[in-house]
Amino acid sequence: MTDAGRHERVDGTPYAPHTPEQTAAMLEAVGADSEADLFDVPSEVRFDGDLGIEPRSERELRGELSETFARNDDLTEFLGRDHHTHYVPSVVDDLSQRAEFLTSYTQYQPEIAQGFLQALFEYQSLVAELTGLPVANCSMYDAASGLAEAARLAGRVRSISGTRVLVPELLHENKRAVLDNYVDGTDLEVATYPMDDGNVDIDALSGLVGEDTALVYVENPTVRGTIEEHLDEVGTITDEAGSLFCLGTDMAALGLLEEPESVGADVVVGEADALGLPTAYGMGLGLFATRESFLRQVPGRLVGASEDESGRRTYTLTLQTREQHIRKERATSNICTNQAWIALRTAMHLAWLGPDGLVDLGNQCVREATSLAGDLDELAGVHAPVHDRHHFREFAVRTDQPAPAVAADLESEGFAVHVLDDHLLQVCVTDVNAAATDELVAAFEEAI
Amino acid sequence: MFETPDDRKYRESHEYATTDGETVTVGISDFAQDELGDVVFVELPAAGDELTQGEEFGVIESIKAVSDLYAPVSGTVSEVNEALFDQPELVNESPYGEGWMLKLDGVDDADFEALLTAEEYSEQTE
Repeated sequence: MTDAGRHERVDGTPYAPHTPEQTAAMLEAVGADSEADLFDVPSEVRFDGDLGIEPRSERELRGELSETFARNDDLTEFLGRDHHTHYVPSVVDDLSQRAEFLTSYTQYQPEIAQGFLQALFEYQSLVAELTGLPVANCSMYDAASGLAEAARLAGRVRSISGTRVLVPELLHENKRAVLDNYVDGTDLEVATYPMDDGNVDIDALSGLVGEDTALVYVENPTVRGTIEEHLDEVGTITDEAGSLFCLGTDMAALGLLEEPESVGADVVVGEADALGLPTAYGMGLGLFATRESFLRQVPGRLVGASEDESGRRTYTLTLQTREQHIRKERATSNICTNQAWIALRTAMHLAWLGPDGLVDLGNQCVREATSLAGDLDELAGVHAPVHDRHHFREFAVRTDQPAPAVAADLESEGFAVHVLDDHLLQVCVTDVNAAATDELVAAFEEAI
Repeated sequence: MFETPDDRKYRESHEYATTDGETVTVGISDFAQDELGDVVFVELPAAGDELTQGEEFGVIESIKAVSDLYAPVSGTVSEVNEALFDQPELVNESPYGEGWMLKLDGVDDADFEALLTAEEYSEQTE
């Protein structure tokens, strides 16, 4: 194609790759009469109607959307359970929305994307530093896909002969569903181990882990917000059994809690978007780090540092022979994409916090949760925290009144909390909603 | 021209097998290492693993390609060339010598005889 041809406007954009003439030439080459002949979509699943979208001017559309958005509840959220919000400094929006970073296509070509590749390398470096594990990919979709990929990694590693994946009985149902989906069709089977007052029941786990165990998954903090106290023992148990220890955590917690590598974690997964992203739209950022011995089994994209022919430091995707576009059915994972722009934002937020800022944030997450639980516990008919443990950000609350009714009353007062069961709620407090804790306690008092 | 020594036999997928009467040594041919280019990684089975003729036993990765390795004969892995884990380039430098991959015990003579002779294999790679 000539340079002039590259800039022909087709359907209003220079980026649509085919002119009508080119399309005709390609159809002739493959012996088809029309593009429709190339697709075999059964008539029963084809939509053959009018979409019913009326054209509107920009001003009309803005007005209509404003009215729609105004119907949203304006609640102060005390919600957590795997999705946490921390204050994202405006520098993150400002920098990440620069045109050089904003594209719907991840910028992987080293010839033109050195800046973005370096940013992803920085993200990986931060993950490696916080986890203590030397290999970090530049993200999975979310924590659930990270856990599922860790299970499949355990299934591939030659030194692991077991097929059971042990997960805590207290686990977010979405994670369990994704894990079940990923291991379907493999030799792996998922089983649960019991918890003791919000943490791992270490005696029960010890009895369950054996030669048939491929991977043991433990969270810190747990889904109930408790800080796990048995990580060293889990590391020992899994080592002795020859199985992998996968630890679920998040970036904000890693500044304060035990370093995963030091307790024997072989893989670290989690929701990295606790930093860098508000809790909107269900977006995730899957943390994934592991030991160097599993480098060839890592799923997803890895950015590596190298040198160009002039000896300058450069960045490029590396070890791509693990990936689906090279290895097809022998690939380590069925995805060869990631959450690059979110990873960029998380790296920016972490860099802005710095080591001291991250520790301060972690301490605040413990302090606020302890303080709010204490205040709620003062109320008659409310017991908090339910688990006699240290907590990070969130905790369970027992109510004498039916929990759904209490939550409904709180909602009418402008607060959102989780309902766990008939008499259990869960409350999450961070730097974002800490200023509203007194009002929440007052609303609780009204509700009970 | 590639070396195709006639002291061993070959599989169409470019693995060779040579025997001392007891143990069979397996690797890939000079032609195969040249086709692959610089080898950067070799994944091999563990000692004690049982291989069946024609099944995949490992993976070889070069800077431009990745290929599966197929067992030229059935047998029990008695030894693996662990030097390749740190020096995969031995496959390029000495495919018939230091770049060997596996030693197998309990190999059936019939399996061995069914492989291509050096002459037959050379015709395939010319």
